[in-house]
Amino acid sequence: MVKLIGSAIILFSATMVGWQVGKLYAMRPVQLRTLLIALQMLETEIVYGSTPLHRAFVKIGRRMAKEIGGIFLTAAELMGTAEALSTQVCWQTAVEQHWSQTVLRKEEKDVLLNLGYVLGSSDRHDQQKHLRLTMTHLRGLEEEARLEQGKYENMYKSLGFLGGLLVVILML
Amino acid sequence: MKEIIAMLPAPIRQILTALPAEVRDSLEEIRLRQNQPLEVRYSQQASYVTTSGQLTANVRQGWTLTEEHVTKLINQISQHSLYALEEELKRGYITVAGGHRIGIAGKVVMEGGEVKGIRDITSFNIRIAREKKGAAQQVLPFLFQGGKVLNTLIVSPPSCGKTTLLRDIARSLSYGSEWSSSRKVGIVDERSELAGSVNGVPQRDVGPRTDVLDACPKAVGMMMLIRSMSPDVLIADEIGRTEDGEAIWEAIHAGVAVICSAHGSDLQEVALRPTLGKLMQHRAFSRYIVLSRQHGAGTIQGIYDASLAPLERENLPWSS
Repeated sequence: MVKLIGSAIILFSATMVGWQVGKLYAMRPVQLRTLLIALQMLETEIVYGSTPLHRAFVKIGRRMAKEIGGIFLTAAELMGTAEALSTQVCWQTAVEQHWSQTVLRKEEKDVLLNLGYVLGSSDRHDQQKHLRLTMTHLRGLEEEARLEQGKYENMYKSLGFLGGLLVVILML
Repeated sequence: MKEIIAMLPAPIRQILTALPAEVRDSLEEIRLRQNQPLEVRYSQQASYVTTSGQLTANVRQGWTLTEEHVTKLINQISQHSLYALEEELKRGYITVAGGHRIGIAGKVVMEGGEVKGIRDITSFNIRIAREKKGAAQQVLPFLFQGGKVLNTLIVSPPSCGKTTLLRDIARSLSYGSEWSSSRKVGIVDERSELAGSVNGVPQRDVGPRTDVLDACPKAVGMMMLIRSMSPDVLIADEIGRTEDGEAIWEAIHAGVAVICSAHGSDLQEVALRPTLGKLMQHRAFSRYIVLSRQHGAGTIQGIYDASLAPLERENLPWSS
């Protein structure tokens, strides 16, 4: 009886681990998409609205899912502090702070951190160019993320279950 | 002053707060240049400032502005959004909360033969705007005749209190004074200096019956205000271009009184300028107020009538 319960627990946890790993692959394209939409909104705010970065960030941050939206909200918050931080520091700190909550990888992070060097520091035309470049970059990564999702999501899910099964069989 | 200090990077903020009180209270300009010492101008004097806020004449002892500070300063004054200041960068200065003006210089970007903006900004001139209520008291009695506001030109060299006087006249006319009832006032504030508007809201007190057309070219703005706001008095700063002259003519003939200012050290000099000379010849203005710095900014050097004859208080039509 104890053995049976033990095997059930092992099987269950192994399946869950597989699910979690699989979910990482499923979440990455979703978050990348959110990020792309957020940057698209930022482009509109900057190019057509000339909205100050601070206000645009708050607006976008509130509308996006919290893993991505949080970056914008934190950046806006940092801009408002009395320490008079530079735009670059505000943005990069916000990215670093929220990164662990996302499932995104280092490639995406580097692209975002790079954006920090130019955000708000040139005319609208130039800002648009940089935002477009960033979005093209991210779109490429999104494509790649989708391919990986197709390949690995189900694999890890089944692998978890099968791995658990293997352990149980070996133990019995 | 508080608004300005709050928007400066921490080291500059500390230095300015450490300045001797009498200097801080009479600050006129804070000049910042990349890799050069910080300079303050106060009550007609200029001086460098050391890290501890002491005044010094020695260039080497002055606290020096680094590139990092410049970046931070730009981030702060543009609220992290330089792209939202395209028009301001074209004109070369930014008006910030409190109505203070920050002049900028750097590398100019041209496009199609026109200035598109300034990149690589390296010099800042923070001009502290001071509201001097009551500056118009001395001249107000001269501005009316038979209950009508007279067309007036204020002539003054730079930083002699021309804008302050113009603003106070606008405010006094708008509130009404012992010399006249209150009037509807229209201000065309091309350089956002008279009303110091931020997001369209005047930061200075320009009176309850005053409409401000912010950042609008003077000639177009005067016509717009006449059509849309039916002002009794139009106020504009720094007249000089041909189209300004035409707009003033139009306004005068539309029954609106015009009070404006021009750069110049005396009337003879102003009379030589093409547009203004013509207006003066045709007696467009009935009053001229000449300012100087003789006894500090805002000294009234003289008040003249349409034929350029000086007016004394005793010669006023009703006081004899």
